[in-house]
Amino acid sequence: MEFCFLRILKLTMKVLVMLLLFLGNIKNSTAYFSSSSEATMHTNNWAVLVCTSRFWFNYRHMANTLSLYRTVKRLGIPDERIILMLADDMACNARNKYPAQVFNNENHRLNLYGDNVEVDYRGYEVTVENFLRVLTGRHETAVPRSKRLLSDEGSHILLYMTGHGGDEFLKFQDSEELQSHDLADAVKQMKEKGRFKELLIMVDTCQASTLFSQLQSPGVLAIGSSMKGENSYSHHLDSDVGVSVVDRFTFYTLAFFERLNIYDNASLSSLFNSYNPNLLMSTAYYRRDLYQRHLEEVPVTNFFGSVMETIHTDSAYTSLTNKNFGGAKTKTFLGQSFSSSDINSVRNSDDEDQFNNLTAEEDQHDEAGQCIFCAMDSGHLWSFILGNVITHESVDFFVCYGLVLMLPLLVFSTWLSL
Amino acid sequence: MEEISNFPLNPEPPEEESPQSQMHESTPDRKTMRTTKPGIKRLILSLTVLFSFIIGFPFLWKSIEIYRAPLPFDRIESFSSQLESDPLHFPCRFQAIFVGFDFSASRGLGPNDVAAAITRKMSQLNPNSSRCGNCIGGDYDVSVVIDSGSSCAQTEGSEAKCPLKCGEVVFGGKLSDEDFDEMLKRCLGNVGGGGKGYSVVVFNGDKEEGEVRAVVGKYRHAWVLGHVSEDEAVSRTAEIFARVFMNAGSEGNSIRSEFMPVGADGRIVLSFSLLNAEPQDWIYDWSFHEIDKTLLHPVIQALQPIANITVESQVLYYTPKSSFSYWDDIHGSHIFSTKDLPFFLNSNEWHLDTSVAAGGRSKVLQLVVYIPSAKECPLQLELPNGDLSKTNGFISPVIHLPSKFPYFIILAYFGILQMWGGVVVWNPESCVKDLESKDPDRRVISPQNLQKLFEVLMGQLRQLLGLKSDNLYVGQSGAYILLGSERGFTEWELDVLSGKHVCFNLHSCATTLGSLSRLVQSLPRMIIIDEIGKQVKFSLEAAKFAQSYASTGIYNASAVSSRQARSLVEDAFFHPSIMSISYYSFEHCFAIYSPFFLPVTMHVILAALREWKRYKQENRKYLAWKAKERIVS
Repeated sequence: MEFCFLRILKLTMKVLVMLLLFLGNIKNSTAYFSSSSEATMHTNNWAVLVCTSRFWFNYRHMANTLSLYRTVKRLGIPDERIILMLADDMACNARNKYPAQVFNNENHRLNLYGDNVEVDYRGYEVTVENFLRVLTGRHETAVPRSKRLLSDEGSHILLYMTGHGGDEFLKFQDSEELQSHDLADAVKQMKEKGRFKELLIMVDTCQASTLFSQLQSPGVLAIGSSMKGENSYSHHLDSDVGVSVVDRFTFYTLAFFERLNIYDNASLSSLFNSYNPNLLMSTAYYRRDLYQRHLEEVPVTNFFGSVMETIHTDSAYTSLTNKNFGGAKTKTFLGQSFSSSDINSVRNSDDEDQFNNLTAEEDQHDEAGQCIFCAMDSGHLWSFILGNVITHESVDFFVCYGLVLMLPLLVFSTWLSL
Repeated sequence: MEEISNFPLNPEPPEEESPQSQMHESTPDRKTMRTTKPGIKRLILSLTVLFSFIIGFPFLWKSIEIYRAPLPFDRIESFSSQLESDPLHFPCRFQAIFVGFDFSASRGLGPNDVAAAITRKMSQLNPNSSRCGNCIGGDYDVSVVIDSGSSCAQTEGSEAKCPLKCGEVVFGGKLSDEDFDEMLKRCLGNVGGGGKGYSVVVFNGDKEEGEVRAVVGKYRHAWVLGHVSEDEAVSRTAEIFARVFMNAGSEGNSIRSEFMPVGADGRIVLSFSLLNAEPQDWIYDWSFHEIDKTLLHPVIQALQPIANITVESQVLYYTPKSSFSYWDDIHGSHIFSTKDLPFFLNSNEWHLDTSVAAGGRSKVLQLVVYIPSAKECPLQLELPNGDLSKTNGFISPVIHLPSKFPYFIILAYFGILQMWGGVVVWNPESCVKDLESKDPDRRVISPQNLQKLFEVLMGQLRQLLGLKSDNLYVGQSGAYILLGSERGFTEWELDVLSGKHVCFNLHSCATTLGSLSRLVQSLPRMIIIDEIGKQVKFSLEAAKFAQSYASTGIYNASAVSSRQARSLVEDAFFHPSIMSISYYSFEHCFAIYSPFFLPVTMHVILAALREWKRYKQENRKYLAWKAKERIVS
C-alpha cells in the first residue's frame, strides 16, 4: 500500500517534478546511454548471490542460493568472484536435523553445504545497505577484497536474489526493504562507472517482475519468477527436514543447469523457454528491452560460467641474466599466437530451429511485459482502466485512484467538521 | 472558495461568537449589523498558529536539507573536453648522427635536408602519431649531424659535438653491444641536456664488413654498424625513431594497448605462487628472497613512477589443474593444447588470492608457477599450429625430449589477460617418482632454474604491461637487436610506458569525474560531504600538474601526478558516505513528512481562513451599524 501511495504522490506531485526538471536537476536518462562503452570485450564473470530472509521456515531461500552458488562454481566462476550473501545460517540452526548440511531435494543426495562454501556476508551483515555497497563498490577502506565486487567494464555479472518480495520491493531480514528504485539507482551507478558490461538479474520472489520496473540502464537483462500479483511457490516439502527445501523457479532453473557442463553452449533463450508456467505455478517474466544482444545467441555460460582469454607468452625476457648466460641470444621471430577462447562461441544449428518455433511464444510474453509498463505510465492510465476493467493491474490502479479521490473528500469532511 | 463565502450566510451563527452580539438584542437588524467592535482574539490566535507554522517551515526545510559540497562542474567539463580535443603529447628530441657519410658529395644534401627526409619518413611510418601519450606529432624535432671524416656539418640548434669525439674509438675497437651502449651513453649522454633526447648513430663501414648490425641500446641510443647506403641510413634511422623509440616496437594489437594493469589506487601487488599439484609426488620450494632481492628489486624501482608495487609469494599444495591432458608417444610427454588454456586454471582448488596487503582497489597480478604431478609429468603445451612449445625460439636450445635431457625444462608458459596475471608450467628435472621413501620428496628449485623461471615471469609481466619481450625487432628496413636491461625495462620502454600510463590515467580520471558530476546532478538528494569536494578539487589540480609536466617532458613526475589524479577521483567516486539509501527520492520525502504535517496544517489553514472571513463579516456589520448611527445622530 505504501508503494501505491508513493505512486499517487508521483502523479500528484507532477508539477513539482516539472519544477525540478526546469532546475536541471534531473538529467535525461539518455545521458547514461552515451557513456557506455560498447566496444569492450567480455573479459570476466562475477556473481552476486543473495538470500534475504531469516528464520528456519525460510530454509528454502538459503537452499536456493546455495544451489545457484554450487552451479556457478561448477560452471567455472571462481570463489573470489562470487559474492555470497546468506541472511541466516540454516546449516547450524538448532532445528536442523542434519547439522552442517543443507539440501535442496528430499532425496538428500547433494549436500549444498559440503566443502568450499565461502559465505561473504552472513546473518545480520545482509542488509540493504551492504547489498547496495557491494553493487556500487562504496565500501569502507577496511572491507577486504573478498567482500567486494571488483568488476570492470568487461564483466558479466549475475545477480541472483531470493526472499520474500512484493510489489516493487524485496524484503531483507524481516526488517527492511530493497525497493525497485534503489536497485535501479544502484544499477545506474554501476553502469555509470563501468562496473559491468552486461548484468543478468534473476529474482525468485513473489511478484518478482515488479522489482525490474524502474531499471533504465542498458545492458541489463532481468528475469523474475512471477508476474505482478502472482506468488512464487515452493517446490516440495522435505518431511525429514520439516520445511520446504527449494522454490519452484529455482528448482527448474537448476534442472536446466544440471544438464549442462562447462563446455556447453545452450543459449539464454533456451533457459527462458524452459520455464513452464504450469510447473512454476507462476509466469516467469523477463525484461529484455535494455539488452541489445539476441538471447538466442547468448550462451548461458556468459553469465553462469566463466570466460577467460589467454595469450601464449612467446618469449621470456632474457636480458636480466645476460651477464650470467653470455651475450644476448638472438631469437627467431615468431608470430604471436593467440588463443582467445570464448567458451561457447559455437552454436548448434539444431537448437536454432527449436528457437524459431519458440519465438512466437516469446513475442506474446513481450507484449504482456509491455502492457505492464504502459500501465505504469500515468498518461495512459485512464484509457487503460477504461479498456481493461477486469485485469489485475487495473484493479490495483483503481484502488490507487480511489485513494487520490479520497483526498478532496478528506478536505471536505475536515471543512464540515469545523 | 464559494463554500467559504457562503458560509456566513448560514442563518444560525455559531454559538461561540455570540456573547457580544447577545448583549445588543435591542438593535433592530441583528443579522446585518452589530453595535460593538468584533473581537479579534480568536483571529489573532489562529493567525499566530498559522504564522508560527509558516515561520517554522524554513527551519524544517533547512533541517531536512541535504548537504552538498559544491563541485566544480564547469572545470570538470572543460578538463574532459580539453583532454578530448587536445590529446596529451610529450616533447621528444631526435638526433641522428651519421659518421662516415657524405650526403653533400653524393646527393648534394645538407643536414637540414636530411632532417626533413627523416621527419617525412617518420610520419609515413607512424601515421597515427596523434595518439595520446605519444611524441608530439607532425613536426618532429629532428636534428642531424653528418660527420664525413673530413668535414662535419650539423643542423642549427643541434647540441651534439661535431665532429663526434668517440667515433674513431668505436669504429676501430671490437666491443660487445653492452659496452658499446655504455660508451655511447658516455659520449652522447649530455645530448639534450638531461632531457629525453633519442639518438641514432650510423657508422658507415667498408663493404667487407659483412652484414649490417643494428642495435637498440637500453638507454635512449641506437646504432647501426656496417656498410649502408645513404638512403638506407635515413630509412633505418627513421624506423628506429618512429617504430622502436616511439612505439616500443609494438604494433598495438598484442594486448589492448591502452590497458594498464594498475589498480585504481595506483598500486600493483605482484603475487608469486608456486603450486605443487600433488605434494605426495614431490614438493618443491623456492628461495624467493633471493629473487626478490637480486632480480625483482630493480624492476620495482624502474616501475616506481608508474605504480607502487609490492611483492608477495606463497607456496601452495594440492592444486591440480582442471583441464585435461593426454599422453603423446612421439613427444614423450603429456600434451595439452592452447584451446584448453582457459580451463587450465582451477579456480576452485587454487586459493591464490590470499593477499592481506592488497587494499580494496589495488590490482593483484597473479604470477603462478605450476609444477605438475608425477602422472602428468612432463607436461607440454601444444600451440595452435600443432607444434609443441619447444619449437619456440627461446626454449629450443634447452628443451629436448626428457629422456635425453632429464635435467631442466621450461615447457609451457602463457599469460592470462587483464586482471589476472600469468601461469608458467615448470616440469621437474626428473619425472620419476621416488617410490621407496615414505616421506614427501622435498626439493628446491635451483637458482639457475629459478632465474630461468623468473625470466619467463618477467616476460609475462612485460606482456601484461603491453610490451614484447623479443630481443629482435624486424622492421621494414631490416632487423634490430634490442638490448635488454637488467632492470627489466629499458629507458625508452619506460618512456613509452609512462606516456601510455599518463594518458590512461588522465582519461580514466576524466571519465570518472564526468560520471561523478552526472551522478551528482541526477540525484539531487544525494549527500556530498566536503571531503568529496576536496578530493575532486585536488584531483583536478593533480591532473593539471600531470599535463604541465608532460608538456615539459618530465615523464616521471607526470606519471606520478596522473596516478594521483586518478586515485583521488576514484576515492571521491567510491566514497562510502555516498549511499543510495540516504538520497531517497523527493516523493519519498513527501511521503514521510506529509503524515506528520498534512492533517494539522490543513486544520490550521482552514481555521485561519474561517476566522478571517468571520472577522471581515462581523466588521462589516459593525461598520454598517456605525454608519447607521451616524445617520441617526
